[in-house]
Amino acid sequence: MSFPKKPGGKGLDVLQTLPRISLANLRPEPGARHRERRRGRGQHGGNRSGRGHKGERQRGTRPRLGFEGGQTPFYLPLSLKRLQYLIDLGRVDPTQPIDLTQLVNARGVTIQPLKRDYGVQLVDEGADVFAAKINIEVQRASEGAIAAVERNGGVITTSFYDPISLDILIKPVPFFMRGQPIPKRMLPGEDMVPYYRSAENRGYLADPAKIQEARLALAQKYGYVLPDISVDELYRMLATRKDVRQIFFGLSPGWVVNLTERKILKPTDEKLLKYYSS
Amino acid sequence: MFRFTVAVFGRGVAKRFCSSFPAEGALPPNLHLPANLVDPSRLRRPPPLADCSLPLLRRCDAAVPAHLSPMQTWVESLLTEDGEPLGLAQLHPDVFGVNPRMDILHDVEKWQRNYKRVSHAHTKVRSEVRGGGKKPWRQKGSGKARHGSIRSPIWRGGGVSHGPRGPTSYYYMLPMKVRVQGLKVALSAKMAQDYLHVVDSLNVPTPDSQYLQDLIRHRQWGESVLIVDVAEEFPENLLRATADLKKVNLIPAIGLNVHSMLKHEAVVLTLETIKFLEDKLLWHDQRYSPLYPFRLPYRDLP
Repeated sequence: MSFPKKPGGKGLDVLQTLPRISLANLRPEPGARHRERRRGRGQHGGNRSGRGHKGERQRGTRPRLGFEGGQTPFYLPLSLKRLQYLIDLGRVDPTQPIDLTQLVNARGVTIQPLKRDYGVQLVDEGADVFAAKINIEVQRASEGAIAAVERNGGVITTSFYDPISLDILIKPVPFFMRGQPIPKRMLPGEDMVPYYRSAENRGYLADPAKIQEARLALAQKYGYVLPDISVDELYRMLATRKDVRQIFFGLSPGWVVNLTERKILKPTDEKLLKYYSS
Repeated sequence: MFRFTVAVFGRGVAKRFCSSFPAEGALPPNLHLPANLVDPSRLRRPPPLADCSLPLLRRCDAAVPAHLSPMQTWVESLLTEDGEPLGLAQLHPDVFGVNPRMDILHDVEKWQRNYKRVSHAHTKVRSEVRGGGKKPWRQKGSGKARHGSIRSPIWRGGGVSHGPRGPTSYYYMLPMKVRVQGLKVALSAKMAQDYLHVVDSLNVPTPDSQYLQDLIRHRQWGESVLIVDVAEEFPENLLRATADLKKVNLIPAIGLNVHSMLKHEAVVLTLETIKFLEDKLLWHDQRYSPLYPFRLPYRDLP
């Protein structure tokens, strides 16, 4: 548009010739208000009232929508293309370790722990356009995604969050307002322990030496030169990893955070310290 | 093309309608016109031109989108009775020049009326009416109609079958952005229909309410005026002048709402109020969606 458009358009021009808008002039759009459908009235609407014959349908006892009958965990996919988009727009800061909290603050993913979400999985769509050196922590990652992150000199870790820790992680401020001490992160269940102990998945329970070997093996498999991160200027940031029982960077389990007075309270009792450091 | 034909048809109808009047301006004496009919004799100062000599007292703080330009209005003063404008002010088009969505105005006004409503109408059901546990007479042989209780709904004094039950709440919340858009549409409508007036400050020379009424009548602002200011304390003169007036009301800027704006004919804003309103209303266009309620602290959102 070469010339600026008039704000409000023709509507505001028309308003100048119309009577004053007052409480007596308001009405909804024609067709906006529908008559509600009333069940069980009349010759054809009555009898079974549109509910069919017997069974859960008529008796109104069907299970809730989407019920599958199980506790299948969902890992929300996060593609590398979306991650690159968030970094480019400045919503996610690549100079700090990228956590699920950072992703949720950037509104990159929406996690609902009440719907059996267990976290985020990194998917390798967009691996060819991905070019950012990041320290990222997700819950699952495909091999191609791990290769893409490490090829650019980044560090990727997979870790487990039980539903309570996940809820605290994605919404830290409402948790701090509750005034409860930060709980310990629970270890994964039996079936997920082998996943998080293997170095190929870069699990947080795996041996660091084996992870280094796995990095070299993956570089050979995918055919790229593994950049040496120990000489990097951001090496300290890239090497920060959370403890097995830790939920937040810099905050240990057992501490109480007071946001209004900006104070952190730490436990002094021996038993508490022993419990929280186990 | 359809709109063009409608416009042509409309103009033809108006010409035919006007020709039935006897003479220009001679209306029959017993004609009852509605109070809010558009009055052509109402003082309508033309909008300021680009080459006006008066100073620009306020520029838009927020960034105006490239395809829109800020709107200009006169800035007046309450110190003198005759309204010579002191200067010009720029208004943001995304707050004072949005599309006139009447349906949003209707929804927001209806919400304002109803979300606080608790209807206390309550009737007793046949089980709640005192008495009526015993069968009045035996089932057969008495010659009377069969009944089980004296408080059934067909009896006089019996319970009501489908009446209002207890305090009912009509609480519901419209999405935050709809309510914000309602405010913007109301301000734009007032601006477009020339009922919005900008004043540099609310200092009045006398605490006399007659002075205010003369001022309003002289400047033809309308019957009722709503004066909005950011500060929680209004100047004493103005407080005393408006204390006895029913149709001139003061309201703080955080209390500005669609119902009050539509109830009063004219709305008077100060320059600080305009800044406050623009900040608050434009923030919602650019904010992130809430993870938790906005009243809890956010570190990165303003």
